[in-house]
Amino acid sequence: MKIAVLMKDVPDLVEELEVEDGALPLDDMSFVPSEWDDQALEEALLMKEEADVEVTAVAIDTGDVDNMLFTALAKGADRAVKLVGDFSRTLPNRLRARLFAQYCQAQAIDVVLTGVQAIDDLDGQIAGLVAGLTGRAHASVVRDVHIEGSQVTCVQEYSGGKMAEMQLAVPAVLGIQAARKPPRYVTIAKVRQIQKSATLEEVEAEAGTAPLVTVRRIYKPEAAGHAEMWGDDVDAVAESIVRLLEDKKLLRS
Amino acid sequence: MGQVLIVAECQDGRLSDATQELIGRGRELAQATGGTVTLAAFGEGARDALRDADADVAVVVNGDGVQQYNPEVYEEALAAMVEDRQPALVLLSNTTMGMDLGASLAARQARPMVAYCTALWRDDDALLATSQIYGGKLAADVEVPDGAVVTVIPGSWPAAGSSGSPRIEEMPSPAAAHTRVLKVMEAESGGDVDITRADILVSVGRGLQDPDNLELADQLAEALGGVVSCSRPVVDAGWLPRSRQVGKSGKTVKPKLYFALGISGAPEHLQGMKDAELIVAVNSDENAPIFEVAHYGATVDILDLMPALTERLEGRAG
Amino acid sequence: MLRTLLMALTVAMVVAAGALFARRVAAIVGVMRTARPTLRTDRVGERIQSVVEHVLLHRRMFRITLSGVLHYFIFSGFVVLLIDIVETVGEVFVPGFTVGRILAPLVDIWVILVAIGILLALYNRLIIRPARFQGSDEKDAFLILGLIGAIIVGIVIHDSFFPFVAREVLHVPDPVAHAHFLGWGLSRLWVALGWTGPGAASVGYAFGYLLDMGVVLAFLAYLPYSKHLHIFAAVPNIFIRNLGPKGALLAKPVEESMAIRTFQDLSWKDISDLYTCTECGRCQAVCPAHAAGQPLSPKMVILELRDALNERIARGTAFSAEEPPLAGGVISKEELWACTTCGACQEACPVFIEHVPKIAGMRAALLEEGDIDPNAQKVLVAWDRQGNSFGQPARKRPVWAKNIDVPIKDARKEPVDWLWFVGDFAALDPRVQRLTQLIARLLHHAGVDFGILYESEANAGNEALRIGEYGLFEALALKNIEALNKAQYRRIFTTDPHSLNALKNEYRKFGFEAEVLHYTEAFLELIDQGQLSVSSVPVRATYHDPCYLGRWNGIVEAPRQLMQRLGVDLVEMPRHGAQSFCCGAGGGRIWMDETGITDRPANQRIREAMRLSNVHFFVVACPKDVSMFNASVTAMGVEEEMRVVDMAELLAVAVGLESAEETLLVSS
Repeated sequence: MKIAVLMKDVPDLVEELEVEDGALPLDDMSFVPSEWDDQALEEALLMKEEADVEVTAVAIDTGDVDNMLFTALAKGADRAVKLVGDFSRTLPNRLRARLFAQYCQAQAIDVVLTGVQAIDDLDGQIAGLVAGLTGRAHASVVRDVHIEGSQVTCVQEYSGGKMAEMQLAVPAVLGIQAARKPPRYVTIAKVRQIQKSATLEEVEAEAGTAPLVTVRRIYKPEAAGHAEMWGDDVDAVAESIVRLLEDKKLLRS
Repeated sequence: MGQVLIVAECQDGRLSDATQELIGRGRELAQATGGTVTLAAFGEGARDALRDADADVAVVVNGDGVQQYNPEVYEEALAAMVEDRQPALVLLSNTTMGMDLGASLAARQARPMVAYCTALWRDDDALLATSQIYGGKLAADVEVPDGAVVTVIPGSWPAAGSSGSPRIEEMPSPAAAHTRVLKVMEAESGGDVDITRADILVSVGRGLQDPDNLELADQLAEALGGVVSCSRPVVDAGWLPRSRQVGKSGKTVKPKLYFALGISGAPEHLQGMKDAELIVAVNSDENAPIFEVAHYGATVDILDLMPALTERLEGRAG
Repeated sequence: MLRTLLMALTVAMVVAAGALFARRVAAIVGVMRTARPTLRTDRVGERIQSVVEHVLLHRRMFRITLSGVLHYFIFSGFVVLLIDIVETVGEVFVPGFTVGRILAPLVDIWVILVAIGILLALYNRLIIRPARFQGSDEKDAFLILGLIGAIIVGIVIHDSFFPFVAREVLHVPDPVAHAHFLGWGLSRLWVALGWTGPGAASVGYAFGYLLDMGVVLAFLAYLPYSKHLHIFAAVPNIFIRNLGPKGALLAKPVEESMAIRTFQDLSWKDISDLYTCTECGRCQAVCPAHAAGQPLSPKMVILELRDALNERIARGTAFSAEEPPLAGGVISKEELWACTTCGACQEACPVFIEHVPKIAGMRAALLEEGDIDPNAQKVLVAWDRQGNSFGQPARKRPVWAKNIDVPIKDARKEPVDWLWFVGDFAALDPRVQRLTQLIARLLHHAGVDFGILYESEANAGNEALRIGEYGLFEALALKNIEALNKAQYRRIFTTDPHSLNALKNEYRKFGFEAEVLHYTEAFLELIDQGQLSVSSVPVRATYHDPCYLGRWNGIVEAPRQLMQRLGVDLVEMPRHGAQSFCCGAGGGRIWMDETGITDRPANQRIREAMRLSNVHFFVVACPKDVSMFNASVTAMGVEEEMRVVDMAELLAVAVGLESAEETLLVSS
């Protein structure tokens, strides 16, 4: 069975986001694999441990995705594919989804895993978009994915702590919320070694067109409903809290 | 604007707050341009729930496989409705269902989409949406093209105030060929306390740094007569059971007092606690989004504050 | 007849014992030959000197007086046993042979000392029963003591019969009959019993001879299968010890991987270590992880490895890749991740076994399988992405330098006299930043021309290496070295002993050889050169030696002298200097799950300080110690009784930057 993990890199939120002229200076930012895609990869690798599957990590060449793909190989993915073409960092998800969808159809991928969301998918999440474009069965916000014959089972999470176990016929697309185990660590030496011994498969791709949306501006949300701040002195803050609770009659007498 | 199609979700026999919010804004937008509001709802139970919703038409999908959410059944039905009615705007809540169906519906129907919407308004001739991106650190104002699918973060604006009496139309549920729901479960609570019933929650996040520091939170909760809850990372790290998790994939809580300690305030977390009566947030990062919803805040280290506050509270009691 | 019989038996026994011994040793050497290379035969003069110091003089052994004395008695007995062997074999093979009247009585004197040694050893093992023996093969120890006892009894018996045998059977003189005073004394009994004729004397002599030589040779055959191979292995193992620099975990850059999965991944010195271990448990007794209730004992790591290797040699699978891996198989991952790399085990080991490199290598093997504590994993990722353990953006590193009235030069842009390598905790931990600012103000006060690397500084990589992530360590090291090479400075000092260790010892393998000091050394120098004038801070305090300062880098005097210059009344804890007790933070432990810890090492340390009379200040010189011990006194609720004070705070009071009241240095 063939599993593809669709991956992308996103700006590292640890770094402060600076907005210039209503847009993000993406070229100056540091990028990291989207954390949910990392979870999807981990889930795929765990599935590989319990069933006969081939795991392919797929990313679109929008900049420097090589390291992310080599890391996936070092972690245990069987293949790593880079969809190459004239793509920029600002490639919208709608076009990304088209590229991924084309690949998954052409390669007859059975199970597509990807992160349930990414911090920058303003025009739709990859999982749903790819499912819609390929007409495949799909479920998002899922975990605990297992292969059972020509079916996959997974648990979908709802708000309020409810969840449902469901079964989908392959081909299917799953938006992974979390892997069963935290994503594994891979040493820098191992990634370097893979970089020397393995190659990324490059597949020429063309995005075509999709219904896009126009972003007028990007900005930091104003602190309109901002909390009243008490500063950074521990004792003063503790004092303020006690007084507030007294006022609100929230203290036990 | 023509028709606004709203995908409704029911909870305990009534429309969810999130759906009421969609109806409120949907109605405003429709009214301004003489459009109509159509609700799409699923299951026999929905009929009662939407009886007095402020919509013109309510389509109730009924039959096998709609009592429990099944992405395939729901999507087939919605796709047929969209195909049939050609709405000018499709609104879904950014819940599991919205995340599941919004993007696939948009892709399938070749409609544009805006996700993580927190504001939706008309400016001159254009419909605009604010999309919350980068974990809530940034916002983007986006032009919403005609026919777009928009998923809205619950709690972005007030719920519908007025009521109506929609004309109810029936629609047989499509068959599910590929997707089966095997069983529905509640999160394991393991006999643990029910955080949704607590008046005071001491909620801890990543800032806890180490499971041993839970002791500090326990002591504070005890001094306050409250219960310890947490954000998702704490559960994922295995430090607290899932039954203690507040947020989209955990519990939604409305305590009298919510202490957010070392919680940065990812949108998923805010969804679960923003309606608390009083929110006090403590986080060392002054730009943490939690301060946007908190009433009071401080930028101190929670590991210093927790013992200091506990001591003060205990001193006061003694 | 008697001679012929004894000669035949002796030759047969020598051949048999020699064959058994040689077979065993050949198997072990065979494994050593396939192990990784390491240079341990250079600096011969120093090596001989260290053998003299640690074999002949028993320097480390005497740290535990009773054990040192009893071992010295038995150990020296073995030297004297050689005289006896030469004498005894000579008597039988060369009629008329004698060692003379001077050497002969030495044998008897040492027999007495060995006997005392055996009694003390029995007292130690049966009555005192130190916890360090837990897990050791005690049966083997008693067997060996019994064999040694048999040998000395045999010596006295054959010496007691020899005068009669010499006279009645061999017809040779026995000029040393009286010199063997124990034997002579016993021979009086035979005279009284009338057992002096050729028959009785022959039987008695043969019995004594076989008890002596027979057991000696049985011992020889048995040794390599027991812990007592150390009799032979200790001397070479001390000779091939690591001569330093002590703090360097790895002497050379790693080509392939530092991971230890099989015995072939160990170095030949590591294999030698396994067979040198005497199971004395001194390492176990000083191990903070063991004391904390963790499943780690450095002794058991060595013994488990040795036993596994022995089994594999017996099965013929010592070179097989089919056997379970050492990391996670022979040694559990819980044991491996419990280590703080404090080095107390190596410091305590009388035969210079190196536990930490083995543990770090096996950790590397676990890490390559992706097995790592989730929190520590986050730290590794943060080091890789942001260059610090806090996961803060690199540009936040110098944020502590923003809000103080002291100008801090950018060493990347202008030359400085002192380059200050600040370190993660000192730069980014909110509780330590204040101390870092204090150090800046002190330097400014002293008129020191200093600067920092601002955001070009990254974590030094000391802990990454000890977690087993060599590639990350190398990347961090090269990044820092690049920044350091671009800067112009005369000398470097660090706040963090862990950074110090990396810069001073680990960066050498990449050709970085600048002089690196700790801030306590730097400030001592400033005071002694008159650049910083200090007034007295008359408090009674104890000082905690950080592992990476005191033990791994031998910097124990500078902090003490500094305190002396400040007029501090220093009261030492029982464990200090190179024998200091770890706070529990090292080797990446500070970021790992504490499940399984029943008594935190830092709490134990605070209790140790609290047992000192009238001491209320616990002076530290490491940012991680500030964090660890403050957490301990808070958790223990003893903040008032034991105040954790950084050396910088003492200095600030001494130069008048802060008042004693302000810094809470006044004892109530």
